[in-house]
Amino acid sequence: MKRRGVHRYRRLFQILFLLLFLGLLTLTVWPIGTIILGGFLLADPLLAMNSVANGVIRWELALAIPVLLSPLLIGRAFCGYVCPLGLMVELFGPRRERHPGPRTRKVLRGVPLFGLLASFFLILFGSAAFLVFDPLSIFTRTATTLVYPAVDRGLRLVGDVAYLAPPLRGGVDSATDFLTGRLVFANGLAYKLQLVILVMFVGILAISLIERRLWCRHLCPLGALLGLVGRGAIFGRVVDQDACTSCGACTAACPMDAIRDDGRSTDCSRCEAGLECADVCPQKAIGWGLRPRKQHEYDPSRRAFLKAGGLAFVGGFFLFTGLARVQRDVHLIRPPGARSELDFMSICARCAQCLKVCPTNVIQPAVFDAGLEGFFTPQMDYRRGYCDWNCNECGKVCPTEAIRELSLPEKRLKVIGRAYIDKSTCIPWAEGRDCLVCQELCPAPEKAIVFTQGGGLALDSGRASGEDGAGGTEGAAGTVKLPHVVPERCIGCGICQYNCPVTNEAAIRVRSVEQTGLLSK
Amino acid sequence: MRNMDRRTFLLSTGRWLVLAAVAPTVTGCARALRWSESQGRTEAGSESGGSTPGTTGTAETTTSTTAGTATTADGGSPGPTGTTTSSTPDLAVIRGDFPDKNVRAAVALLGGMERFVKRDARVVVKPNVLTGRPPEYATTTNPLVIGAIVRMCLEAGARQVTVLDYPTSSPRAAFQESGLAQAVEEAGGDLKYLSNRNFEQVEIPEGQSITSWPLVTDVLEADTFINVPIGKTHGMAGLTLAMKNLMGIMGDPRGRIHTDYARKITDVNTRVKPHLVILDAYRILTRNGPTGGNLDDVAMPKTVVAGTSQIAIDAYGTTIMGWQPTDLPSLVEAASRGLGEIDLSRLTITESTA
Repeated sequence: MKRRGVHRYRRLFQILFLLLFLGLLTLTVWPIGTIILGGFLLADPLLAMNSVANGVIRWELALAIPVLLSPLLIGRAFCGYVCPLGLMVELFGPRRERHPGPRTRKVLRGVPLFGLLASFFLILFGSAAFLVFDPLSIFTRTATTLVYPAVDRGLRLVGDVAYLAPPLRGGVDSATDFLTGRLVFANGLAYKLQLVILVMFVGILAISLIERRLWCRHLCPLGALLGLVGRGAIFGRVVDQDACTSCGACTAACPMDAIRDDGRSTDCSRCEAGLECADVCPQKAIGWGLRPRKQHEYDPSRRAFLKAGGLAFVGGFFLFTGLARVQRDVHLIRPPGARSELDFMSICARCAQCLKVCPTNVIQPAVFDAGLEGFFTPQMDYRRGYCDWNCNECGKVCPTEAIRELSLPEKRLKVIGRAYIDKSTCIPWAEGRDCLVCQELCPAPEKAIVFTQGGGLALDSGRASGEDGAGGTEGAAGTVKLPHVVPERCIGCGICQYNCPVTNEAAIRVRSVEQTGLLSK
Repeated sequence: MRNMDRRTFLLSTGRWLVLAAVAPTVTGCARALRWSESQGRTEAGSESGGSTPGTTGTAETTTSTTAGTATTADGGSPGPTGTTTSSTPDLAVIRGDFPDKNVRAAVALLGGMERFVKRDARVVVKPNVLTGRPPEYATTTNPLVIGAIVRMCLEAGARQVTVLDYPTSSPRAAFQESGLAQAVEEAGGDLKYLSNRNFEQVEIPEGQSITSWPLVTDVLEADTFINVPIGKTHGMAGLTLAMKNLMGIMGDPRGRIHTDYARKITDVNTRVKPHLVILDAYRILTRNGPTGGNLDDVAMPKTVVAGTSQIAIDAYGTTIMGWQPTDLPSLVEAASRGLGEIDLSRLTITESTA
């Protein structure tokens, strides 16, 4: 049968958008130019609504308006044509239609309402925790923490193998030059919570075993929001009521379970305008037009509304009163430019773009340091990396301005934490031998680490000088260079902690500070 | 387009993947072919060059350098470029307003770049690229100096000039912010960002504190290795000049070098001996080294010092920095182990302006 119309190219659209999405994400590396790489996330109405609710208004958010209003005209085409997570669910999720029992069905159909109410209450309680489930955020986060590290390792492995053949070495070296800092990184990318993120992603694909595209139909909060708008659809799927024989072919073909009345009406909160129904209709009775005949199977009773609202309220309340909101972990250091902790929690989309762009891999998803609410929010891990003096990219890519963009001169004065020396493990202090790696690498123009001569152990004098005594007097009492942190100069970049040669736990560590502000020049 | 099922999708994707894999393999093979051809050419070239030494016009230096290169190929430590002719000084010191002209003049005094770089030689140049800062901050070797050296090597007939370092921050950022990436590209050299596979564990037979360490393979295999440090103060070491610049060819854990530093850096200098050392003292960093970041800490002696001995270069370098050679523990250590002369009165030094 010949298919006509744009919907023939649905899969092509999906793949092109996926490639665009991955392309932009791949380009999200130092140095960022002027392209809006976070374009997809900025156009996400869920993120945009949360930002606006928190008073973050930037012109790029206007991109979200057409997306939000699109269901009035083209159904949830965003889900069917654009969303990369939707494509994954379609491609890799089980595809057979399954019919769970009526009870399960009823519960599942109540989920979108619950999701929206929960999101609403969380916004009221100043928490953006629901954005953990935003599909674009999930996709970016999964790609960042799983795909790019795998690409990094893979390319490295290919390079290592090819390097065994001397004739290929030149090629490998020039490829490495091109890829370094882009797809291959000095340390090799690694992220915390990879397994959790993987399980979440696979779970989203796997629940299609319960019902086909269950994630898209019932669980996705962005889908629910678009569906809410879709209830007021002006354009939609129209059926020639005279021609329709109620054969049910369209109902069986619809991947979104959006067809009601044996094909005669549509649940416009689900229809993604894929028009599989039109293709299978033996009567050619289905098209897209004005005033579709709508029917909403799930119209919540007051009771259901209150139940969902109550549950969401209690959840939000617990987050609001959680310990993490009161007591801040000393290791919880946010990237430079991050808003105050409370604002940060209510705005951060957990999209992991800052993790992606960070050239040193220092930005990691928080595990428990920010509380359960702060799962996946960015945190500095100074044993993985350090904040590079020449980089301010995390603020540039943040779609919600949870991390604000700082100019480089500003960033270099931005205090995000402060280094403290642990004298019980620091080599000069504890062992009486020279080290000063921290002092050497401190990038502050007026070094934030200074040293005094002193220390050393009298009984060990000359210990390091070797058999022939040629090593001088290092280690003798009073000759060791002892490092000190000058608090007024330290911004907490953590390069000292990263490079500290003391094994495992560094002897100089950055702790969070009460107020993060700019150093006075 | 018809609605693809999984099988068709995988098949069609597979086709593209195969294509994507085949293309680089083909180009890789082509590259490999070119490489082996050029290998053959070089060997033939050097043989004929050896049999007719008079053709190049610099017969004396040619012979001595060939001997030096042969030692390298044997796997021994690359010694300084053989015996020098009596007319060339130990150190050439040039002052002038243009960093590149200074370098050219200094190398000319040592007998020209042809003395160090043979036809078709593979040259490795090692600037100091500690971290990325613009050249005015004197944190990294001057890009004009590196550009001039790359050009001179190519003019002398080098097949390939590789500029490499192992910065302590993101390599791409470091090379770009320091202006070196651009300078090397303009001069026609190859920039190299090091990865693990470029290091190999090397024995240091004369080592006292360290007896083996991972070092950059390219440096060990180079026909000519040129060390181009910049003069800076350094909290732990006192000063960083030529000897310490070799830390940039050492693999991790580099931080451990700082303990018992004087002996360890001397150990490395017994193993790796650059054929040519050029100290960039056009700008020097007088405080807050080696990272700098404050223009007030930068002085401008507008000087370049060239020579073949790391130790002699550093001995002279200390005086530019306002120190004495004996003030630097690592230098005293190196001299006591007979690596070179730090008594400036016993060195032939030609000073001039460009």
